[in-house]
Amino acid sequence: MKGIFTYMKRDFLKWYRGRVAVVSALVMPAAWLIFVGLALPVKFTGNYLDFITPGILVMTMLSAGLSGGALLMFDKILGFLNKFLALPTPRSSILVGKILFITGRGLIQTTIILVIALMIGATLMSPLQYLLTYFVLFLFGVLISAFATTIALYLDDHDSYSAFSTMISMPLFFTSSALMPYDVMPAWLATLARLNPLSFAIDAVREIGAGIIPSLSVILLVTISAVILGICMSVFRRVTI
Amino acid sequence: MRNTGTDAREWDGEMTMNAIETSNLTKYYDALCAVDDLTLSINNEIFALLGPNGSGKTTTVLMLTTLLHPTKGSATVCGNDILRNAEEVRSCISYVPQDMAVDIKLTGRENVRFFADLYGVENAKDRVDEVLAVMELTDRADDLIKTYSGGMRRRLELAQALVHEPSVLFLDEPTIGLDVAARKKIWEHIRNLRKKGMTIFVTTHYMDEADQFCDRVGIISKGRIAALGSPSELKARLMKDVITVRIEGECTPPHIEGVIFVGRTGDEVSFTAENGSEALPVLADTLARSGAAIRAMFLREPTLDDVFLQAVGQQEEPHGFEDAKFRIMLRRRK
Ligand SMILES: Nc1ncnc2c1ncn2[C@@H]1O[C@H](COP(=O)(O)OP(=O)(O)OP(=O)(O)O)[C@@H](O)[C@H]1O
Ligand SMILES: [Mg+2]
Repeated sequence: MKGIFTYMKRDFLKWYRGRVAVVSALVMPAAWLIFVGLALPVKFTGNYLDFITPGILVMTMLSAGLSGGALLMFDKILGFLNKFLALPTPRSSILVGKILFITGRGLIQTTIILVIALMIGATLMSPLQYLLTYFVLFLFGVLISAFATTIALYLDDHDSYSAFSTMISMPLFFTSSALMPYDVMPAWLATLARLNPLSFAIDAVREIGAGIIPSLSVILLVTISAVILGICMSVFRRVTI
Repeated sequence: MRNTGTDAREWDGEMTMNAIETSNLTKYYDALCAVDDLTLSINNEIFALLGPNGSGKTTTVLMLTTLLHPTKGSATVCGNDILRNAEEVRSCISYVPQDMAVDIKLTGRENVRFFADLYGVENAKDRVDEVLAVMELTDRADDLIKTYSGGMRRRLELAQALVHEPSVLFLDEPTIGLDVAARKKIWEHIRNLRKKGMTIFVTTHYMDEADQFCDRVGIISKGRIAALGSPSELKARLMKDVITVRIEGECTPPHIEGVIFVGRTGDEVSFTAENGSEALPVLADTLARSGAAIRAMFLREPTLDDVFLQAVGQQEEPHGFEDAKFRIMLRRRK
């Protein structure tokens, strides 16, 4: 589709020239990895770092996606969106460009988290396992960034957007399978966790680490991503300001 | 002379489709009517929508650029319906919004190239160089926008809008916040575009600009067109001379033959007269007898301001009001 690459390139160029945000977005997940992954005394697994790393990777993608929604908010507040919407370029390429940038940026950040995890003692996987891991993270990135960008399109100002993103990020993370397996959770939490899309991605990455092809989680993830993407694209096509 | 001009335009109108055609275009924001039953045809000219703050100029532009759906009525741009053929409309227009938006972390060239790529312009590189040269930005093209002045940013936005050679250009307050020299420069560029055959739809609240640079003006007030025509026609509809009287306190407009009351802004009361220099002493006498305290009187040719005043009546909200407020502030300070 025309324009997708151009929109994506603009965001990468602006990000590259910004720089500070590149580091600050990594502080949270790195802190989780080090302080929780290394320090928490747990009994259900021998290497807790290996258990928690998939959760932290997905968390990195989640916060990359949610903070990425703010990009559209700024484009809207600063008047860029008005200019873009009046262009002959298909409007859905604004959305797809954002998704690719946000997901791409998230993948760069998760790579750094992966390297840190390896340095502090996580187990090295095979190239195929890494490839599959990236694929799952990419799917999850598409899902979360499409959702966040479309929410940003509808909210009025940046304050309400950041309220929205803090409101959903913590609950999503804690009701997922990031920190503990389903069988040690209380029953109510296990139910929530099994419905949480974050868990689909986390479970998939975990299964890859254990040498299993995560077909069920991937099918679920692909389905949800496709549905959300379809809805968001039609929202963008019809948008007025 | 004027006759042949009008004929030519009508002839054009029959031969080709009008660039912009609106019929009963209406927009409500909830209960507020921002644009009220607008019917216009605009072809191959610089058309200015002239009106005070909040009169519905931006709302009109947003509807014509397909960013906003009208509540009622319809419009076509280059023969394409703004609702049914929105994509086609967007491919023959360019739009520069009222609020400036250029990426300050990118260079001038990158900003223009970005739009060239979005439009899918052929030979993008050369075309970008060309429009940058037209807008006199070549020597600053590789500097970050951070270092550009307001006037340069506006010209850069024009360059962005012009990379794809639109048939209709929408400019929402292109000169707002610029100094006199920068405003003049922008208008010179707009005139040149017109010479190349582009239709330009511009909104402004500067009367003098509309008067000097535009072919036709629509005065809009509270969403309605109050007067429509070329600046000279509109001024000719008023009478020959305008007399402005500065008065302290109240004044009831007197009835004098050959003198017509136009309106009042602040402490200035305007009249038009067939023969200004003869009407001046008569008006002074009559006003003095009715008890008004005259501070000064001016005799001049009519301007669009007078047309505006007559068409719209006293400006309630915008300038007049703020002038008065400002004077009160000054008085308090003394
Ligand atoms: N999104 C909106 N929601 C509700 N009311 C609006 C909205 N946008 C504009 N209005 C109202 O519609 C009217 C027309 O606004 P518009 O922006 O078209 O005016 P304008 O002529 O462009 O003014 P200005 O010279 O200040 O730019 C105003 O009364 C304004 O308050
Ligand atoms: Mg406006």
